[in-house]
Amino acid sequence: MPLTSPSTTTPATQTILRASAIRKSFRMGDSRIEILKHIDLAVRAGEFLAIEGRSGSGKSTLMHLLGALDVAETGAIEYQGQDFSSMSAAQRSRLRNRHFGFVFQFYHLLPELNVLENTLLPPMIELSWIAFHAQRAALRQRAADVLDQLGLSHRLKHRPNQLSGGERQRVAIARALMNNPKVLFADEPTGNLDAETGRQIMDVLEKLHQDHAQTILMVTHDRTLAAKADRILLLKDGRLTTEPK
Amino acid sequence: MYKLLLILKYLRKRRIAWVSLIAVMLCTTMVIVVISVMGGWLRMFRESFHSISGDIIVQGRSMLGFPHYHEMIKRIEALPDVKAAAPVIRSFGLVNINNQIRSGVSVIGYPPNISQVNGFTTSLFRMTGAKELAFSLIPGHDYRTPPGFSSRGKDPKTWDGMIVGDGVIGLRKNKEGNVDRDTDVIFNAYVVLTVMPLSPEKATPDLTDKTMRFFWIVDDSRTKVHLYDSNTVYVAFDALQQDLQMDARDNEPARASDIQIAIKPGANLAAARDRIARIVDDVTTSHGYDFRFPYSVKTWEETHATFLGAVEKEKVLVTFLFSIISIVAIFLIFCIFYMIVVEKTRDIGIIKSVGATASGVASIFLGYGAAIGIVGGGLGLLAGWLIIHNINGLHTWLGKIMGIQIWNPEVYLFDTIPNTMNPREVAIIVAIAIVSSILGALVPAYRAARMHPIEALRWE
Repeated sequence: MPLTSPSTTTPATQTILRASAIRKSFRMGDSRIEILKHIDLAVRAGEFLAIEGRSGSGKSTLMHLLGALDVAETGAIEYQGQDFSSMSAAQRSRLRNRHFGFVFQFYHLLPELNVLENTLLPPMIELSWIAFHAQRAALRQRAADVLDQLGLSHRLKHRPNQLSGGERQRVAIARALMNNPKVLFADEPTGNLDAETGRQIMDVLEKLHQDHAQTILMVTHDRTLAAKADRILLLKDGRLTTEPK
Repeated sequence: MYKLLLILKYLRKRRIAWVSLIAVMLCTTMVIVVISVMGGWLRMFRESFHSISGDIIVQGRSMLGFPHYHEMIKRIEALPDVKAAAPVIRSFGLVNINNQIRSGVSVIGYPPNISQVNGFTTSLFRMTGAKELAFSLIPGHDYRTPPGFSSRGKDPKTWDGMIVGDGVIGLRKNKEGNVDRDTDVIFNAYVVLTVMPLSPEKATPDLTDKTMRFFWIVDDSRTKVHLYDSNTVYVAFDALQQDLQMDARDNEPARASDIQIAIKPGANLAAARDRIARIVDDVTTSHGYDFRFPYSVKTWEETHATFLGAVEKEKVLVTFLFSIISIVAIFLIFCIFYMIVVEKTRDIGIIKSVGATASGVASIFLGYGAAIGIVGGGLGLLAGWLIIHNINGLHTWLGKIMGIQIWNPEVYLFDTIPNTMNPREVAIIVAIAIVSSILGALVPAYRAARMHPIEALRWE
């Protein structure tokens, strides 16, 4: 079984995710800070796109908007032609569950669940109790396979607090891949890891992209990491500019 | 699926929630014990009063009783709903038992067929469940005049038999819950009963006009109603009627204090009472209503309404008070769940980022509350069952180590604490425990559902 394969194929070069003139600001005391001023962006299917920016530049905010975790004040974001603003909160939740995968800087694993259970979280959220139990054996097998390919087959019953940082991040990647996401969002995926472990995690992401044409949108402050992507955009002063590789 | 998994994980691993679980358990136990004891007490009252009263009672409202009871009984027994009817005499007397116990007692005169209308014979030690109540002496027993006792020339073998409430002769339950009974002593005990007849002709009683009769104790009764068992003796209806001069004499018809009536199973009690009242009125009127002999016709519940009503009100009051105390558990659950939601803010963000909806997140915490209620209520039910089923032993043990008697039979009328649970009441209590736990979790669950996933993920 491949590590991941998007459930329905979107032709390469076709835009899968598009942002048009989006703005986002935050209240800071009595004033408002406009963190994203006018963002236009198109993510192509199968593309590995890096958004580079300094700390506080708004790159995580942009990723949250594109990942339907937050809502833009103005502008439009479309996934496969469907505008997020036309979706209810429940529909956005379903979109995140079935089409998107997230890898965060701080792993964000549930401490009460073991490695296998954390990995199975997306299908557990997607499926009803009956449907999950009907497919339980197949889902457990798929989770075990994904974890095996990430080098975690010996850690299935361990809890997050029994794992190293690199292992936790690999569990987070396994969880993100479990529902065959069309787009994988990675927010500073190596930001909390040492150089060697960070390199291993980037190798995993690159392999996913190269072998399985996984669409990846990564935000990072690290130029070296961004250089691994097909395309780099620089976020500065609330605007995106193209950065040569 | 993830909701059930997380609920079970939180239930096992979040030890702070065990505090709310224990609170639910203790509240459930407390309410089950209180309601079971109070409910059991009420049930014992109802069963005991019903057992000693029959279904419907024609009750003389003066100590003179009322006449024409033979005619009334004949017509009452002809009613299709009526199983049987029997006359009863109630009075007061003085007893001297073996020259050792001298006290004032209630005296009840029962006819042989009393077992057809009430459960008195089931309370007997020697003649338990006898179909015909007999006050005859014990066959083959060697009755002799006690030394130094003057029976005024009456042969002790011709004395009458008397049944005594077991408390009258000092019988008590031992630590094992059995009654120590020395039948050699009991069945060789004589009783001198003195009663005072009341004449319908005289406005005030003649204190010199008393009747004395000698008896042998032939059995003892334990109705479980302390009021009766500690203070009542039972003799043959005819003998008591004669001693109280209520038998037919001087152109006055014989009188009885009550007529106890048993109705057939399934018959309508109120309708039967009304029909019987019409018969009694008709008989009384046909002989010319006599204001000296007022009477009433009531069901057994109406007869004991004062007692039953008081106990019912007490049960409602105590249940209400303990329910208010139990509301504390709801607030405790609220506080603990609020803490858990704050503590789990980042987890809520994770779950939402992976695709859980607001209702899904709310369901986790509501389900968690329900799980606390189910487990706490279940454990409370178990603890309540253990306490209720061992309550008399616990009471004895507490009395032994602390020297206190909480359940005083003279106050509560029964010598044992009720130890039965009503399945319907218990089911309602456990259901309320579960609903209360969900209520306690409601606001924290709403807060969790409303959390913004990004703010929750960034929460520290």
